[in-house]
Amino acid sequence: MNAFLLQYLPIVIFFAIATVLGLGFMIAAAVMAPSAPDAEKNSAYECGFNAFDDARMKFDVRFYLVSILFIIFDLEVAFLFPWAVSLFGMPHDKMVYAFVSMMVFLGVLTVGFIYEWKKGALEWE
Amino acid sequence: MTIGLAHYLAVAAILFTIGVFGIFVNRKNVIVILMSIEMILLSVNINFVAFSAYLHNIQGQIIALFVLTVAAAEAAVGLAILVTFFRNRGDIAVDDASMMKG
Amino acid sequence: MPLTAIAFYLLAIVTVVSGFMVITARNPVHSVLYLILCFFSGAGLFVLLGAEFLAMLLVVVYVGAVAVLFLFVVMMLDVDFARLREGYAQYLPLGLVVAAVLLGEMVTVSSAVANRGAAAANATPQAADLHVSNTQSIGQVLYTDYIYFFQAAGIVLLIAMIGAIVLTLRHKPSVRRQKIHEQVGRRRRDAVEVTKVGVGEGISE
Repeated sequence: MNAFLLQYLPIVIFFAIATVLGLGFMIAAAVMAPSAPDAEKNSAYECGFNAFDDARMKFDVRFYLVSILFIIFDLEVAFLFPWAVSLFGMPHDKMVYAFVSMMVFLGVLTVGFIYEWKKGALEWE
Repeated sequence: MTIGLAHYLAVAAILFTIGVFGIFVNRKNVIVILMSIEMILLSVNINFVAFSAYLHNIQGQIIALFVLTVAAAEAAVGLAILVTFFRNRGDIAVDDASMMKG
Repeated sequence: MPLTAIAFYLLAIVTVVSGFMVITARNPVHSVLYLILCFFSGAGLFVLLGAEFLAMLLVVVYVGAVAVLFLFVVMMLDVDFARLREGYAQYLPLGLVVAAVLLGEMVTVSSAVANRGAAAANATPQAADLHVSNTQSIGQVLYTDYIYFFQAAGIVLLIAMIGAIVLTLRHKPSVRRQKIHEQVGRRRRDAVEVTKVGVGEGISE
């Protein structure tokens, strides 16, 4: 178990260095940078006007639809990984069974894909 | 000090409780309610995977995989309902949603 | 193995604290970011348990897609979030009581389960099959022994896809869309008509 976890040591080291560097720069900036804020400096700059409204603006709903469809196909691909890794290690009859099983799964999702294509959900009008 | 099954079960139990607590205190904010549900499902997954690892049985991970799938689908449809609700009402306060036919 | 224990406690504390911040943060964007942190450290716990495939799936699907979806919705809806926090204090006592009871019950049950039987015999987490990788051992049973679950997952994804399209897709009638096959298949006789016009006559439709 420990040998297995040691494979993840580079990732841990990477995260540690990233955290130390990121925090270090933030702390250094907070400590060393000259800072004399006033109300005018802290207000949003908009070409000399007072800011008209909030910087947060509403997104278009179509972005949302695209990201939902992304999740669905993301999960479909996630189911493909164990299949691809293990398919050729199986005995022959099991392999055929697993292959057909995956093709049915992909077929079901292709029905959904055709539906969204025909509905025009992928078009950006 | 070895980390046993009980440690993972404790983490899952605390996370589950936080999720339920979040649903209770954020009664009006559907987005936080949906996030709480996602956390509850994560805690369930931690339970499944912990049992799978300590009982040396892959079954728990398979079920966790399906829980993950259903949770993602639930988030997608739940947020779609939320967007439609917002479009019809102009607000997402769920205590206004007590009447049908909006 | 103290290193594993340190990693476990670090990840567990980050998971629980960020989970708590999800439900208490004032700004919903911060809630989503804490949710991402919560899932990320949960994936770390999965790695500690040896469930590598699920850990990576959690990062890809949740951190990469579901959290982005939540972020979209928070940014997309122009909602007064301060108003949604009304009644926070009102439900707090009831929530605390329910949470305390629930936690007590679950700790009792899990400590009983963990102390008795199988878990005590196998005190270390271990892969089911030591000869193959985690992903491979999932793949060996997922598509054959669990075929009904697998196909049901496909149906669930299909329904989610169709449901999301039905609920959110609205075509604006004012927008003129491309119809490529009609545009390409257009002939001269569909568009232009040559007529002889006599002197002093107009063309009637």
